[in-house]
Amino acid sequence: MNRQRIATSTMVYIISIVALICFVFPFFLLIINSFKSNGEILTSPFSFPQHWNFAHFSDVFAKMNFLVTFKNSFIITTLSTLLIVFFSSMAAYHLVRKPTKYNKFFFTILVASMVIPFQSLMIPLIYIYGAKLQLIDTIPIPLLIFFYIGFGSALSIFMFHGFIKSVPVEIEEAARIDGCNTIQTFFLIVFPMLKPITVTISILNVLWIWNDYLLPSLVLNDESVYTMPVQMKVFNGTYMNNWELLIPAILLTVIPILIMYMIGQKSIINGVMQGSIK
Amino acid sequence: MKDRKRDLANVGNSILFLGPTTVFFAITVLIPFAYGIYLTFFKMNSPTDPMVFSGLLNYLNALKDADFWSSLWLTLKFVIATVFFVNLVGFGLAYLVTSGIKIQNSMRTAYFTPNLIGGLVLGYIWQFVFVQSLPALGEKLGITWLKLGWLGDPHMAFWSLVLVTIWQTSGYMMIIFIAGLISIPKDLIEASTIDGAGPFRRLFNVTLPLMVPSFVVTIFLSLKNAFMVYDLNFSLTKGGPFNSTLMVSMHVVNKAFVEANYGTGQSEAIILFFIVAVVTGIQVYFSKKMEVEA
Amino acid sequence: MVNFKGLLKKSTLVGAAAALTLSLAACSGNSSNNTSNANSPVNIIITNGKGEIDAQFKQAAKDFMKANPKIHVEVDSIAVGDTLNIYDKLTASGKTPTIAMFDPYNTVNKYKDVGIDLSNEKWAQDTSYSVKDANGKVVGFPFAVEGMGLVYNQKVVNKAVGGNFDPFSINTQDKLKSLLDKIKASGVKYPVAYQTEAWSVGNHYSSLFLNQESDPNTILDQLKAGKLDLTKNAAWNGYYDTMDILASKSYNKYGDRPLGQYYDAAHVAVGKGDSAILFNGDWAFDSLKAVAGENFGFMPVPVDNNPNNPLNNKIAVGPTQVMVINKKATAAQQDAAKKFLNWLVYDKAGQDFVVNKAQIISAFKNNPNKVTNPLGVAISDAIAKDKTMPFSTNYINTADWSTIIGPEVQKYLGKQDTRAGLAKALEDYYKSHQD
Repeated sequence: MNRQRIATSTMVYIISIVALICFVFPFFLLIINSFKSNGEILTSPFSFPQHWNFAHFSDVFAKMNFLVTFKNSFIITTLSTLLIVFFSSMAAYHLVRKPTKYNKFFFTILVASMVIPFQSLMIPLIYIYGAKLQLIDTIPIPLLIFFYIGFGSALSIFMFHGFIKSVPVEIEEAARIDGCNTIQTFFLIVFPMLKPITVTISILNVLWIWNDYLLPSLVLNDESVYTMPVQMKVFNGTYMNNWELLIPAILLTVIPILIMYMIGQKSIINGVMQGSIK
Repeated sequence: MKDRKRDLANVGNSILFLGPTTVFFAITVLIPFAYGIYLTFFKMNSPTDPMVFSGLLNYLNALKDADFWSSLWLTLKFVIATVFFVNLVGFGLAYLVTSGIKIQNSMRTAYFTPNLIGGLVLGYIWQFVFVQSLPALGEKLGITWLKLGWLGDPHMAFWSLVLVTIWQTSGYMMIIFIAGLISIPKDLIEASTIDGAGPFRRLFNVTLPLMVPSFVVTIFLSLKNAFMVYDLNFSLTKGGPFNSTLMVSMHVVNKAFVEANYGTGQSEAIILFFIVAVVTGIQVYFSKKMEVEA
Repeated sequence: MVNFKGLLKKSTLVGAAAALTLSLAACSGNSSNNTSNANSPVNIIITNGKGEIDAQFKQAAKDFMKANPKIHVEVDSIAVGDTLNIYDKLTASGKTPTIAMFDPYNTVNKYKDVGIDLSNEKWAQDTSYSVKDANGKVVGFPFAVEGMGLVYNQKVVNKAVGGNFDPFSINTQDKLKSLLDKIKASGVKYPVAYQTEAWSVGNHYSSLFLNQESDPNTILDQLKAGKLDLTKNAAWNGYYDTMDILASKSYNKYGDRPLGQYYDAAHVAVGKGDSAILFNGDWAFDSLKAVAGENFGFMPVPVDNNPNNPLNNKIAVGPTQVMVINKKATAAQQDAAKKFLNWLVYDKAGQDFVVNKAQIISAFKNNPNKVTNPLGVAISDAIAKDKTMPFSTNYINTADWSTIIGPEVQKYLGKQDTRAGLAKALEDYYKSHQD
């Protein structure tokens, strides 16, 4: 019995390490190549840099107007995510607990909307909100946040939906008997029980919005409001990309998310450790 | 009296809970989409052309466009390949990192990192791998099929797309599965162990049924992502060699914006939407039925 | 009681949100498109099709504005790889680009209704590269002149021939072959690094045969009328015979599997001297310079063994980016735009921007500056020696050729199709695309 267990856990260990290497090595490639010149990147992409040249990072910092761009990305991502989570959890709760015909229909529309090809919306969006309503020129950042809530709600509601179903109705009924109204029931009883999925949904939304290029490229026309992915485009060339600057730029964009993810993961684990839920 | 008050409260709740989402959704998605459909009834070569009413001409052109349907068929093959493996690998990874082995925290981060590298950049990085590193490896080890560039052969190019997709999106699905696995009440697992169930029994009879909500989401997402693949397609193979890996999204974008046939391209996008909506709708409908209410 | 208060609170909340939304929407800002006041500056928007020179272009705009304080210039560059090009994006969102940068083909096709007649501008007399519409009126200001041919690494080739190599000495297919053999003999296992991107083998290489007539459109008209049998056309076949040589297993680094994403690798190979020759344009230096500062040059692409065939002795050179002035701009904006174009040609700062800062070969002989990029120098020399022929890519539908014809050529290269099949594909395309 013991030998079997050791064998299985060793196997598991080995598989995990192999998988780890497979998953991480392109990231590792990005890191070692961020210190090289274009020539070195093209000729020997897999070896360690000959000189660890940090100058590219400061170059990118300047060329990307980093602080302003980072601030834009941060504001847009944080506000959008908070609002998406807030509104979507409420909407999902309502759709689950009140399964009327209208609500079921609305849920179907939401899910269906997720498969709308974005290319079909590009022209309508900039026509309606740019040409007709002039909002793209006047309030690009609030408009963009608006769009993110609009586009992000469907998936977040979809994910909350399934998980809310697993919250026992009896607990809510008990709360009702104790005198809670719907708002209190939701925010004080149900929402705390959704912590794992809420953190997950937040992570996924942050990831999407932070790295999103398409929507900001349509709405943000002035350099002072660019987000990181839009600003990074200056390093793309028609025939060859300026890798020595593009790669550090990618790293600078990706590392904040990585940190956020690691923090987020910790909070999911802590939530479980407290054994709060069931 | 009490009933009326309750009805009013119900309406109030509906507005409060559902209202904001409805407003944002309508403004951002529904209205532009309606306008997008409206546009398909006009003949336009470029999106800035004057609109010339043409009825159903664009849809007829779309139906006649053999390349549209062949790219859709190719995409279907891509969908089947990726959805299965992405979910398998994603679930496997999630199971691995919640099983209690010592390094699982760093593994959780490691398996997630591919996701951080988005769209076009991902394709460029993997180009390095397929065009330079694998052939170099093949040269050293003397393996022919490794030595010749993957991206120059239609079949290998197709599988390289599948491979990169699995690599990138398994991590994403993994964290959805993690949320689901963690939400399974520990006492249920303990109870089944006490009842004498071994690890496989536990997996199939307790864990998986309770994971259905997660699978509903991940299967839906992997289906949708596979049908709509564009960024990776563009940056890794550009649809080549000789358009053999041109998926339907890239075809639609080419038609609307490159080929200067915006009207037909837009209507192809709408047709694609309906097809994918039906497929995923069926998937969600049947899997929702399997969801177990606590 | 509690319910009523709650309802009131809830509807106030939602009402406030809705009101805020509506007020934001109603609060449409003033359109900055038109100027009403004679004293306020004229605003012009320029779209730039060369993403790499965005920084230089914006600086040039600043310099121009200093010299012309009554004009405000906004430069919007394309973001490389965007599905929606910058002109369409700005126009769809309600703006009117004053100067738009297009490629020559689109200037007279997709965007033929955009530009005003510039035939009476002074610069129109000072260049042979302006783009004319179907009625012979000048609509396109030539911004960039570029050329394409067989790029070679001077050091490697000089070593192979044992001396100073004259690129124009290779004016037959046989001479090209013997050069490749010499390079092999000098120790370079694969003299050619052949990239097979659809736009390269399609738009650039496969359009060269149009130059067999002094007006490339002649051939196109014959194709559209279905009157040209390509399999019997000497020039067309000749170019593919040469391609067969270049991409063959004995000479091509990637000959075993010719198709693939080899662009970067090919330029590294030729840059470092592992290979000697590739087919591309002077923009190739952007990739080459990453690995080498050495000298590179251009050879014509030979089409047969007749040393007197002009096609064997000339390099395809022409305008690749032209600027048009938008009909829909106001008269004041159009005048300001004309000033800017003149500034590019006749003002020292403008001339400096085009050639020195942006490293672009000027279409105007009066520009005293010279580019430093060796491939650019080679093209300028070819222009000076009058050894150039039209840039054939400008006569074909670049979008269709990169998505439809290019892949057909790739099939030929990958032995998935015969020469006759390729001929038929091209003939069928033109029979069904009459525009």
